[in-house]
Amino acid sequence: MIQFSNVTKVYGNDTVALERVNLNIDPGEFVFLVGASGSGKSTIVRLVLKEMEPSAGAIYVNGTRLSAVPRRSIPRHRRNIGCVFQDFKLLPNKTAAENVAYAMEVTGQRPRTIRTKVPQILDLVGLAEKTGKYPDQLSGGEQQRVSIARAFVSQPPILIADEPTGNLDPDTSVGIMQLLHRINRIGTTVLVATHDKEMVDVMRKRVVALEEGRIVRDKVKGAYADEV
Amino acid sequence: MRFNIGFFIREAFKNIRLNLLMSVTAVTTTFICILVLGAGLLVSAHVEGLIGSVREDVAVTAFFQPDEKEQKIQAVRDSVEGYSEVSSVKFVSKAEALDNFKQTFADQPEIYEDMGSDVLPASLEMQLKDPSDADAVASKLEGEGFAKKDLSYPQQTISRLNEVTGYMIWGLYGATALFLISSILLISNAIRISIFARRKEIEVMKLVGASDSFVRTPFVFEGLVEGLIGATLAALAVIWLNYLFVDWSRQALPFVPISGNAVDTVLILAVLIAVGVMIGVIGSFLSVTRFLRV
Ligand SMILES: Nc1ncnc2c1ncn2[C@@H]1O[C@H](COP(=O)(O)OP(=O)(O)OP(=O)(O)O)[C@@H](O)[C@H]1O
Ligand SMILES: [Mg+2]
Repeated sequence: MIQFSNVTKVYGNDTVALERVNLNIDPGEFVFLVGASGSGKSTIVRLVLKEMEPSAGAIYVNGTRLSAVPRRSIPRHRRNIGCVFQDFKLLPNKTAAENVAYAMEVTGQRPRTIRTKVPQILDLVGLAEKTGKYPDQLSGGEQQRVSIARAFVSQPPILIADEPTGNLDPDTSVGIMQLLHRINRIGTTVLVATHDKEMVDVMRKRVVALEEGRIVRDKVKGAYADEV
Repeated sequence: MRFNIGFFIREAFKNIRLNLLMSVTAVTTTFICILVLGAGLLVSAHVEGLIGSVREDVAVTAFFQPDEKEQKIQAVRDSVEGYSEVSSVKFVSKAEALDNFKQTFADQPEIYEDMGSDVLPASLEMQLKDPSDADAVASKLEGEGFAKKDLSYPQQTISRLNEVTGYMIWGLYGATALFLISSILLISNAIRISIFARRKEIEVMKLVGASDSFVRTPFVFEGLVEGLIGATLAALAVIWLNYLFVDWSRQALPFVPISGNAVDTVLILAVLIAVGVMIGVIGSFLSVTRFLRV
């Protein structure tokens, strides 16, 4: 589903964010991407979205080599990937409900479908009361949940979440993880970049560990840190 | 993909409301630019109208000898009426010449008191289609037997007039073109600034899978609406200013032939609004496109 083959990413002239990364994620997998701050997790996310090009190596998503995707086809590529951004990336002039609806509008879905699905999904992430609030009227955790709702409202085959529980209290975090787990069970490929040690340890999913841009560990049913 | 025009229009109006200050700036800039542009067009139109009426006034007058035979006069009249350069011919008899003279000096009767009806010569007044033909007409008249001293036409004035008015008209066209170029730059700059402020938003839209045209369309509608409002207000103001000016000139400059007809109101209205809307649409289209490369 997602394949990195010898991918290197250098920002500017000398910031090596990823170095010869090889990674293969199969359809339906649930993968945690862990590593210290600055180890290159968000860089992987941005490369998968084709927000930028790798400096070397090839990336395949859904069997398509990303460097072969023309500019005008990038929107279609991105509609296959729901993404929860580390900095949420909500539209400031839209309410929670409108932000979620926007992700459906870009795919040209019927207004009636949008009107019924948006409240359902916001209810699911526990924001039924806040649908009419603007991002700057929401707490960090609430914005994060709007971002999550937006990412999977169209039920894309791939869901990527960059620090989806970073701003949440432990209870809500568990709720979000359960949600991601449920999304994964209906067949969605899920990639979660996180620092959340407890969550990773509890979930017992595949763990890919990054250190200074290199994959140092890749373990099925792994934990956040090496187990001795 | 479904193209939901209602969605785009709603988005556009919402954005105008949310970014009210920026929208007002864009509308105001459009208003001022189109107003200046329209004023330029007005000045051009009036100057052209004036030049036209001055040139129309150019006439060649041929004076007959005081003892010229009636037959000869008639023959010349017929021949001159056949000239292709001449638009109209008027014969002024000796008696009419005296009448005109008396009228001109009506308040000083002592001047013409003992003037006989034979003093002033009869003449032919010819209006020319094109004032630059004056020379040609004069030499034809010489062929009819008129001496150079009996022909009156402002020959030098005409060629100077042609030269000067030619420069003036080109100068006005040049100035109008400059106004147009600066309007395009100013208006699209105002739009560019307002879109620059929202480049993060555009980036997010692209990241959640919006296509270029999906992101761009509301912005283009926004530019269209802003251009339309600014340009319409400016065009109406220009028309109103024109009426004020024509009205004022009738009283203040009664001898200057300024005419309301020199300005084609509907044309000016249409041109100004079209220019404003086009700059709004093209300006926002190009400005958004810059930020779509995400
Ligand atoms: N736009 C950029 N320009 C230059 N360097 C960058 C840029 N983005 C990231 N980097 C650098 O690349 C490296 C990897 O960054 P990345 O954002 O992928 O880390 P991360 O693992 O997501 O960290 P965090 O857990 O803090 O989010 C860091 O050293 C960072 O400073
Ligand atoms: Mg990151």
